[in-house]
Amino acid sequence: MSAIGPLLEAIEVTRHYTVGNSLFRKRNALVRAVDGVSLAVREGETLGLVGESGCGKSTLGRCLVRLYDLTSGQIRFEGREIGSLTRRQLRPLRSRMQMVFQDPSASLNGRRRVRDLLAEPLRVHRRGAPAAIDARVRDLLRLVGLQPDHLERFPHEFSGGQRQRIGIARALALEPRLVVADEPVSALDVSIQAQIVNLLLDLQQRLGLTYVFIAHDLSVVRQIAGRTAVMYLGALVEIGPTETVFHAPAHPYTEALISAVPVPDPRVGARRRRIVLGGDVPSPIDPPAGCRFHPRCRYATERCRMEVPVLRPLGDGREVACHYPLAG
Amino acid sequence: MTEAPLLEIRNLRVSFRTERGMVRAVDDLSLTIGAREIVGIVGESGSGKTMTVLAILGLIRDPNAVIEGSIRFRGRELIGLPDREMRRLRGGAIAMIFQDPMTALTPVHTIGRQIVEQIREHRGLTHRAAWDRAVALLDAVGIPRPGIVAERYPHELSGGMRQRAVIAMALSCDPALLLADEPTTALDVTVQAQILDLIRRLRTEFDSSVVLITHNLGVVAEIADAVIVMYAGRIAERAGTEALFADPWHPYTWGLLGSVPPLDGPRLMRLTSIPGLPPSLLNLPPGCPFMPRCRWRRDACLARPPLEGPPAHQAACVIAPEERPADRVQALGPLVAAR
Repeated sequence: MSAIGPLLEAIEVTRHYTVGNSLFRKRNALVRAVDGVSLAVREGETLGLVGESGCGKSTLGRCLVRLYDLTSGQIRFEGREIGSLTRRQLRPLRSRMQMVFQDPSASLNGRRRVRDLLAEPLRVHRRGAPAAIDARVRDLLRLVGLQPDHLERFPHEFSGGQRQRIGIARALALEPRLVVADEPVSALDVSIQAQIVNLLLDLQQRLGLTYVFIAHDLSVVRQIAGRTAVMYLGALVEIGPTETVFHAPAHPYTEALISAVPVPDPRVGARRRRIVLGGDVPSPIDPPAGCRFHPRCRYATERCRMEVPVLRPLGDGREVACHYPLAG
Repeated sequence: MTEAPLLEIRNLRVSFRTERGMVRAVDDLSLTIGAREIVGIVGESGSGKTMTVLAILGLIRDPNAVIEGSIRFRGRELIGLPDREMRRLRGGAIAMIFQDPMTALTPVHTIGRQIVEQIREHRGLTHRAAWDRAVALLDAVGIPRPGIVAERYPHELSGGMRQRAVIAMALSCDPALLLADEPTTALDVTVQAQILDLIRRLRTEFDSSVVLITHNLGVVAEIADAVIVMYAGRIAERAGTEALFADPWHPYTWGLLGSVPPLDGPRLMRLTSIPGLPPSLLNLPPGCPFMPRCRWRRDACLARPPLEGPPAHQAACVIAPEERPADRVQALGPLVAAR
């Protein structure tokens, strides 16, 4: 790690919800959506965040840019603690940390033209006179591969892929250093996914962006992320260089997750050993004691049922939360 | 002389009259599915894959729809079949599962009751016998504690368990043909792996044939015997699974394969991707529908290319075999070791 320190750091970040305060159920249940996650993101890198639905990856992403408040823990951005800042205190930081969402039609106001959608953040943050803003909007459009004649159109006039380009342009309007992208390609057709992945890689190279890329599609994460973090039931189970994590997973959950991805090559598919996990992900309301993964883990021992494994370095740039890591 | 195939579609065309002209959702589609065969239909949104399945099921109810051609199931024509007889087939000899299991389940009855209803609709079993069969089916699709789950309502189950319950329901009348439209798309990969295992077992344990519709080439590679690639309502290419992935003929197939980042081996600098967008099906121009996005297009593409080749491998493309680039699947150059 460089002497300057990471651009973004999460320290023991926790986000709990209460649910069930309904007419029928009086007792409140606590959902541990994110439960003590620590990680660092270096300037210019892409950290992939993977896991299955309900593992807390989206919640963590929103905590990282402080769209959500933390239950406890710290977020350091540019070396400064922002985990406990108020909305008002966060406002000047917003331009430097942005988010791209899965469904751009939900995050773009359908009644506004592309020109206004892209100019809005610039106006709010008082980035220059109308002429300068207009020039910037045109630049942004070109940056994401759209044409000037798209300026006067409404979001519904675009395809899904083009709408995601608009979502990306809007996130980039204020020249952020950090972009958290939450499933940005998972709603798109395969051929369009590849276009957007290529675009995100180009933009990173040109603008020196730092990405946190959240996705459930492991092959897309492998293409885009230099490091990958794997979450299970609100906690980090493994984090490290993408190639290491994919090629020799150290956590049994990572191993099962990667082995489950169907590969578009029948010869490779036949060679691979598929580990089919039994059962379902347990509820984050009442996670299993000890290692959260132990009820589905084929290597679990008595120790795993009793003792919570902590994330510890393996010596190959990787950290894993397992009593019996498979590699390293 | 062999017996008639299980399903035989000849020159199927599904069009919709709209204010702005004819939309041709499926155009001149022919395919044959034999007993115990798993066929994957791959394509992106608007390729006509779902419409094909709805046509087989007789579920296109739009008064502006025009369905032409022939769909024969065990030699019997399904197009124009009276509703009453079609209903007897649906859920009986022909079963279906969709992406969202809740489209097939009602929230107001227990899982067990819904399967029992389905069984008794098609078979003359007593309630008791039907219930036992329902529990046995839930067990067969890998639901733990099936007797208890049968008493549960759909909302009490996870997505993967719901999809299993729907598959159990689909299997309740020993279907000869299962039509599965994106059955794993809404599921996580570890659950997807479980469901794919289950679909594979259908052939061995239930003697069913499966038509699997998906946009996921990995799913097809894992499970299908043969693959049909659709584009803009037409078949772009069809082949046995091994042949399609080892030696694809159509540039659209090349683009699709290049769009999926590899899970192992060297990482690509860029994904191949396919430029542009799928065409609007409204008043498609004559000629190859993929031409505007194709890097290999030429004058000959202005005339519609027929589906050509031996029965085992066909493509609708004018590119001659010797012209197919050797590196066509991952057509782009420099690889990077680390990023």
